[in-house]
Amino acid sequence: MNSTLLAVKAVSKHFGGLKALDQVTFEIRPREILGLIGPNGAGKTVCFNLISGVYKPTAGEIIFNGERTQGKAPHQIARRGVGRTFQIVKPFATLSVLENVLVARGISRYNHLGKIWSSWKSRAEIRQALEVLDRVGLADLAHRKAALLPLGNLRRLEIARALIVGKRLLLLDESFSGLRHEEILQLEQLIRNIRADGITVLLIEHNMRVAMGLSNRVVVLDHGRKIAEGSPQQIQQNERVIEAYLGRKGHSHAA
Amino acid sequence: MNAYLITIATLICINAIVACGLNVIVGFAGQISLGHAAFFGIGAYSAALLATKAGLSFWAALPLVVVITALIGLLLGLPSLRVKEDFLAITTIGINFIVEAIFLYIPFFGGALGIGGIPRIMLFGVRLKGLTFFLLCLFFLLLVLAFCWWFSRSWGGLACFALREEESAAASMGISPVRFKLLAFVIGTAMAGLGGALYAHYIRFISATDFSFPVSVLLLSIVVLGGMGTLWGPVVGAVILGALPEVFRPLVDYRFLFYMLLLLLMIRYQPAGLLGEGSMVHRVFSLLLPEGKK
Repeated sequence: MNSTLLAVKAVSKHFGGLKALDQVTFEIRPREILGLIGPNGAGKTVCFNLISGVYKPTAGEIIFNGERTQGKAPHQIARRGVGRTFQIVKPFATLSVLENVLVARGISRYNHLGKIWSSWKSRAEIRQALEVLDRVGLADLAHRKAALLPLGNLRRLEIARALIVGKRLLLLDESFSGLRHEEILQLEQLIRNIRADGITVLLIEHNMRVAMGLSNRVVVLDHGRKIAEGSPQQIQQNERVIEAYLGRKGHSHAA
Repeated sequence: MNAYLITIATLICINAIVACGLNVIVGFAGQISLGHAAFFGIGAYSAALLATKAGLSFWAALPLVVVITALIGLLLGLPSLRVKEDFLAITTIGINFIVEAIFLYIPFFGGALGIGGIPRIMLFGVRLKGLTFFLLCLFFLLLVLAFCWWFSRSWGGLACFALREEESAAASMGISPVRFKLLAFVIGTAMAGLGGALYAHYIRFISATDFSFPVSVLLLSIVVLGGMGTLWGPVVGAVILGALPEVFRPLVDYRFLFYMLLLLLMIRYQPAGLLGEGSMVHRVFSLLLPEGKK
């Protein structure tokens, strides 16, 4: 088998004159958790949107599971087993929590005109959707309208949906932000369990303790460029990373 | 029952069928359409032409009418559904005016004279008129409602709901936005075609102005008043907006004033429509049925 699940090769994304992402290259290996970190505006979410098909890269190649996927639409990439969450949560607000998850369960049907006419209200479907909700700790709220959930639960709901879609790769965009301490601990455990199930995770995270604690490897972006890559220990001691986050050492003193 | 009431009830039924179609587009899939009367008209004109020029019976022509309307819906939906919200509203208004102009200016469609002499519908050797025609419309309305109910429980319907709520999230779950918007559009226009065919054979003389822009506004008002995305909303809306003009007949010149007032009151007090989420009716029913499954 392939030793790379996803390869991002010299990918650039320009918005007019702004180079949101400039010649970025990295790889994700199967069954690892790769952390993607960087200061605000570094291009992390742009990177997610390129991988999940929301944007087309200006240049470069994205290869998922041996297939070039750049330029494919989000629904086509989802069908290849890439699940994602959104930094700004996007629940289906008027649907119930259970229905939100059921939407994701339909992924194998939406591409076949003949398979979309049967009912989603079957006992088996609902039971399996409840199992996923149970896994993220939302089973009790299954029949609540999604619009009524607080942020922490909405993030879990997004992970539940992404888990169903992301049989191969899970893209988590700041899933920890806005969560309380206990919620963070639960979610960390959940992500470890997900990896144990053989799913690869790409994680954008601002919370350094979480990012360093969960990731096997870390890629650091700054101003659209990759400035470092390595194990969490290596990254924590990397001069350029410290500089990107804290400013140049001694620079302000010298002035 | 007297003929006057039956006439009104029949027209309400036809409006409800067409509005159910619009509800699939606007209420289920969340795509605003202000040109639904165009497809109502396409249905009516195809039925009229197939009956008068091709000599087909209503029953032979009906499947053709529905398919023709749905195909034109698919064709016009392809470019329209690439734009969103306000732009989609304007595009669909445009479609309405273009279709009306085609009916009006191309001689094949009868021009300003319209098409007359449309035969009555025969069923088991009986000529349908009055009460029997009303029952036929009622039958088709129930059929359309059954289909809407079924669709709302199908995976396709669920995909449409998801698109209505959050398009990018829906796409990240494998739902092709274009495909499912088109699906809703085709279903909705097919229902408009059915309504048009019934209308043509009921009125038996149609002209382009029957399907002009104000009719689209009326249809959208029916859906909004009844409750977008609900099953019975279009029926309730059609009954109210069909009966009100009759009730207010002495005030015929001020009728639109009442429409406006009604719409403003709805927007202020019942924004989700009479049967929508959080409406008075909805709340009363939730009180009566505290174990409500949803």
